[in-house]
Parts: sequence; structure tokens; C-alpha cells
Amino acid sequence: MSTTQTATELPVETYLGQLCRRAFGHRGLMFGIVVLGVVIFAAIFAPLLSAHDPYQQDLLARMKPPFWMEGSDLAHPLGTDFLGRDYLARLLYGARISLFIGIVAASISCVIGTTLGVAAGYFGGRVDLVVTFLVNVRLAMPVVLVSLAVVAILGGSLNMVVGVLGLLLWDRFAVVMRASVMQVRGLEYVNAAKSIGCSTLRIVLSEIMPNIVNNLIVVMTLEMAHAILLEAALSFLGLGVQPPTPSWGLMISEGKQMLLFEPWMIAIPGACLFALVLAINLLGDGLRDITAPENRG
Amino acid sequence: MKYPVQSVKRLLVLGGLAVAAVPVGGFGHAWAGKADDTLKLAFTKELQSIDAYYNSAREGTIMDQQIWDGLVYLNPLKGEFEGNLATSWAWLDDTTLEFKLRKGVKFHNGEAFDADDVVYTLDFVTNPDNKITVPQYVSWIKSTQKIDQYTVRILLNKPYPAALNLLATMIPMYPNEYYAKVGPSGMALHPVGTGPYAVTELDPGKHFVLKKYAGYHDGPKGQPSIGTIDVRTIPDVNTQIAEMFSGNLNFMWGVPSDQAEKLAAMKRFTVVNAPTMRVGYLVMDAAGRTGKDNPFTKLEVRQAVAHAIDREAIVKSLVKGSSKTINSACYPSQFGCEQDVTKYPYDPAKAKELLAKAGYPNGFTTDFYAYRDRPYAEAMLAYLNAVGIKANLKMLQFSALTDLRMKGEVPFSFQTWGSSSIDDVTAITSLFFTKGLEDYAQDDQVNAALGEGDTSVQPEKRKAAYSKALKRIADQAFWAPLFSYNANYVFTPDVAYQPTADELLRFYKMSWK
Repeated sequence: MSTTQTATELPVETYLGQLCRRAFGHRGLMFGIVVLGVVIFAAIFAPLLSAHDPYQQDLLARMKPPFWMEGSDLAHPLGTDFLGRDYLARLLYGARISLFIGIVAASISCVIGTTLGVAAGYFGGRVDLVVTFLVNVRLAMPVVLVSLAVVAILGGSLNMVVGVLGLLLWDRFAVVMRASVMQVRGLEYVNAAKSIGCSTLRIVLSEIMPNIVNNLIVVMTLEMAHAILLEAALSFLGLGVQPPTPSWGLMISEGKQMLLFEPWMIAIPGACLFALVLAINLLGDGLRDITAPENRG
Repeated sequence: MKYPVQSVKRLLVLGGLAVAAVPVGGFGHAWAGKADDTLKLAFTKELQSIDAYYNSAREGTIMDQQIWDGLVYLNPLKGEFEGNLATSWAWLDDTTLEFKLRKGVKFHNGEAFDADDVVYTLDFVTNPDNKITVPQYVSWIKSTQKIDQYTVRILLNKPYPAALNLLATMIPMYPNEYYAKVGPSGMALHPVGTGPYAVTELDPGKHFVLKKYAGYHDGPKGQPSIGTIDVRTIPDVNTQIAEMFSGNLNFMWGVPSDQAEKLAAMKRFTVVNAPTMRVGYLVMDAAGRTGKDNPFTKLEVRQAVAHAIDREAIVKSLVKGSSKTINSACYPSQFGCEQDVTKYPYDPAKAKELLAKAGYPNGFTTDFYAYRDRPYAEAMLAYLNAVGIKANLKMLQFSALTDLRMKGEVPFSFQTWGSSSIDDVTAITSLFFTKGLEDYAQDDQVNAALGEGDTSVQPEKRKAAYSKALKRIADQAFWAPLFSYNANYVFTPDVAYQPTADELLRFYKMSWK
């Protein structure tokens, strides 16, 4: 029996309604959804939300303060950066970069990690040994150090950062998937599917995956947040996204010089980064809370 | 916001007024400094070795000036040479320079200074086996002869007009007995010189304590005033400023213009802006070293780059201070720096036109290298982008970029050069356009003209030769000269100091008010 079977017997609305009820009652989840929603909205509608081009420099209007400070200019509500580029525009376009990196890097990792993890968990034995060894090798390499080294040798660019992070962050997927698959592979419905002669692929995709996908979502959100933070760290060190592309990490790095006199230059992108990463993490936690089988009642 | 942009002298007057206007009692607690006669100063870069011959950093040249002396001294205000460890000198012919040495000078360890020290030092540094960091500084020396205890002769390979400049700032005299015994590694830990300050405490690269040398000779540097100078390496400017506020630092230099502006507005410290000999410029691969088909081999492309960048705006808004735009491949005050050359004013429309003429109507993509002043590089990036040149900025460390440049792999880069504060084009133009590894023009005409200027001792002939070279460089736009740099000095109001245009700190000229 699987969820689809239950769904045919019970009204669909009940389960969905249950989920919604739980979701609305979950403060962390709601916070995550709202903040993430705002960021996604900002990223998609960036050109409509700011009249400025994030690449347009105006050396005569450098470092204009944001609206709540003295000497601000309403044409630039969040001020301008060290080259006179509009801070709001760079922040909005920077959201695109952060989300892109988070989603793409986590997806690459997800494919690699899930494949390895499911294979290890389902087949066990030698396959498991090999995968466990690979995971150990991967865990022995500090992510930041390896990505720094790779980017330093091959040169930093948006695609390079996404690629490197995607190839480095799969370990958690593999570990979680392996453990989850091990839990369900001996259950009756899997054995039943085996006994009626289903192919391995079918068993994995339609019997096992639907039952562990909630774990996958949680890991996915965790790794998205991880990738976004790592991108910011790499860009801060000058090895990530290259200027003039707007990236929050890069904006923090550029503001560092003026930390003492213009702290808002770091505070604004820093607060955005903080909020986004917190929101994604809370979203992941919340999704686990409302979908985890032990909570289904 | 008003920010003083003047010459050193005018700024000093202003600085003096600002200091005078500050109420003495307004600072709460006493500054660490005047009370215990210790001036605390910060370096931003870590010094590789305090041995003057084994580093190439500005910090090293600064330390060299305090701990050691050269045979002559270049007076920064008059621009004239004065006798230091030598009291007089004479050119016996174009390639022989004779020095009469000062009597009664003693090194910090008590060793007496005489002709043997000069001969030993110059023999040591010109010996290729000793691998000093910048051999070009001494490569003009053929040999050194001791005539008597207080007379030496330096023989040159060929006439070299900048000889005295190098002897003044880059070639300190070492104690022969001590150096023979301890070598560069010993000197790096326990430096011994004849200079106005002696090192009493040293943590390599991090911390240096210098004490006034009581037995300092009455040379042109004058007697030092402040008892102890405490130098620490603090890499981050914001940390340095915080240390200034908390009273743990008396003196900062090389302060970025934005921060200097803010500090000046606070009226709590003396902020002085002085010009420096450092110039910024773009180097383009006209010789096709990175590939024959590279766009910069076309004259129109190089001219387009020169027209594309609004140097005035960059100077006015980013570099600020006493900086000026430049048109020649040298610093304007340098001997031989011809100013009447082809100029390329900001004109993006013309730049696009030139690019189209060169066969790039839609522009092109190139790598753009830089090693410092990322904001300036990024500002140029946007200007280039506006005319269709898509440049990928690659920021490298200075040494890494120099290596790449020597290998001929850098099509386009933003470079700066401080000429080691030598007021002569030999220290810049002749260094980069004489078909060396860092020459991306590889132009025979320029090379020939510079060679003529470098080996002549007649000023008029040299000027004519350099003028020819610099005019050709500008016509061909081998470089796009950008602007001169400036330096900001920030110090507590109890310190009296007059910064000079050569970007060299002189601890022995600092005093308490």
C-alpha cells in the first residue's frame, strides 16, 4: 500500500487540508514561505521594482546613504555603492544570483547524492561499501577549502561556482537517502512489488521514492542555504562571482572597506543574506514537521 | 563635503590650523605616545625581510631610510643631492664616480665606517650569487675600488644618469665585519646600520621597535627627535582606524581617500594629502605576445581604449586628493617626461567609431588583469563595457601578475608604478619599453630612442631622446596613461610631520608638538 492507494479510499482534501492546517499553524514554516516568497518575487520582478540598471555607474553619486539616513536621495532608496550604482537594483538582481546558485547547485548535488544513496541503500553489500567509501572521501575534504582551491586554479565565474558547489555538496543527500532507503527496502509493499516481478527501477521510483521524498526536500533546502552561504563566502574572498555581476557576497566584500564609516553598505546585503538563509532553513524544518510520517496522525 | 585638495605646503598650513583649532582638553584620556615618547605607527603590508636588499616593498625602503644611510642623500624639498656617508663626490669621467667618505661615523654596534664597508657592501650586492631581490638597482655598477681609508671609486658599466638616485635611496651601506659574519638572515633579525634609528626589538614581518641612535652623525637627515618608534603590521585599514580612535596608534599612511575624507571631516586627527610619483596606466598587448590575432595589436583598438575611459571622473570621484590625469608614460615631474604628446580625451562615440574601423563594430571580449585598487579597475570595466569592450576582470597578487606578464600571457592590464621615487624616466619608461619581459610594445623605435637617452650624460641630448620615445608611445597608444596617485597621511594632533612627495616616511623628521 502506498499513499496513492490511501488517497483513493479517503477524500483527497482531508490529507491536503490536514497539511494546510498544520502549515498555517507552523510559525517557522510561514515565516520561511513569506520571506522566500518575497525574495523570489523580488528576483523575478527586479526590473519592475527598480528603475535603475544595476550595472549603471555614476561616479559623481558615489556612496549615497539609504533613505533613513541624512543626505539620502530618493532616486536611490537604498543608496548607491562605491561606484555610484543603485544599491536596491543590485540587491534585487543579486537575489537572482543567490537563488540561481542555491537551486542549481542543490539540484546537481541532489541528483548525484540521491543516486549514490539510493543505490547504496537498496543494493547494500559491495555497492554500499563503495558508496560509503566515496562519502567518507568527500567528508574528509573541507568544502570551503576545496572550492577555494578549485576556483583559484580554474578561475572564478558564476558557472564555475555553481559547478564546484554542485559537485561538493552531495554527501548529505547520499547519507540521508541511504539510511531512508534501508528503512523501507524491507517493508512488505517493497517485497510485494518484488514478488510480482517489478523491475528495480520501478520499485525504486514508484515504491520507495514517494515514501522518502520528504527527507529529500529537507536536505534539499538545507543544501540550498548551504550553497548560497558558500557562494557569498567565495565572492567575499574575491573567488566567486566576478564583478560587475551583482552578488550579495560581493556587495558585502565591497562594503568591507567602508565598514567603519558606512556600516549600512555591509548591513543591507548582510541582512538580506541572513534572512534568505534563515527562511530556507525554516522552510525545510517546517516541511519536515508537517509531512514527516510520524506526524501524519 | 569639502576635502582639501592641494599641494603639500598648503595642506600643511591647513593641517596646522586644524590642529590648532582642536581644544587640547577635548580628548578625554592622554594619547599613548607623547607621554612615554613612543610613536606608534602601522604598516599595512607584511615586510618580507628588513634587510634592505632582500625586499622590494615600500615598507622596506622606509625602514632602510631609518636604520641605514646611503653615500648621498636626496633632499626631498630641494630635490638636490647632499653628502651623507660621503661628504663629497665627483665624476672623474662618464663611468667613474669618486667619493670622499665622512670620518668618525660609527655603526650601531660600534664598528667604524670606512672605505672597506663601502667596497664590501657593493661587492656583496653586485655578486649575482647573493641573489638580491632587485638586482636592477645595482646592475650598473662594474666594480668598486678603495683608494684610501676614506676614498672610494665606483666604476660603471656604461654611463648611467640615475646612479646617484639609487645610491641615495636604494643602496644602504652595511658594516662589512658584521655582515660577513651574520649574512642576510642575521641582518634580518638583528639589523645594524649607521642610521638615525637602531632596531631594539624585532618580530619579523609583524613588529619593529626602533630607538633613537645617540651616536648618529651630523648628516643631512638631521638628528632624530622622537625617542621610540613602534611599528606594527595591521593589514586592515578599518582596524588601523579603530586603533587610532582608541589611542593605540599615532600614525597611519596610505589611507584610502574615502576613509581619509571621513577622518578629515571629524577634525580629530591631522589628515595630509601629498602627491606621489606613482602613476596608473593600462598596458595593451600591441606586440601580439598573447596571440597574433589579439585586438590590441590594432592601433585603432588601443586608441579606442584610451578614448573610452573618463579619467577626469575617476580622478575626481575615486582617486581624489592631489591626483591628476597624465598623458605620458611617466610621472610629469620626472626628468625627460615629455608632456607635449598626443592626448586622448574622453570620447566614447569616437572610441566606438575607432573600434568599428578596426573591424570590431560590436566590440570584443578580453581578459583584464589588475592587482590593486579594484574599485578603479571596476570603474574602467564599466567604461569599456559602454563602448562594447567586454572585459573579464581578473584580480591577482602583484607577484602572480608580474609572473604572467613576464610570460607574455596578459593581453590587457591595469598597472601602477612608483618609480622607486626616482625622479627620472629611466625608472619607468626605460624599464618597460626596452624590449624586456614586461615590454608589450616591443617597439624598435622606442627602444632605440630610450637607449640613446639612458646612456648619454648630456641633459639636452637625453631630453630630446626621451621626448622622441614618449611621443611615439603616445602616438601608438602602447599604454593608456591614466592618472598619478596620491597618499594620505593621518596622525594624532600631537605629532608634527611634513609628508613628502616621494612617499617615503621619515621617522627622523617626526616630532612631538
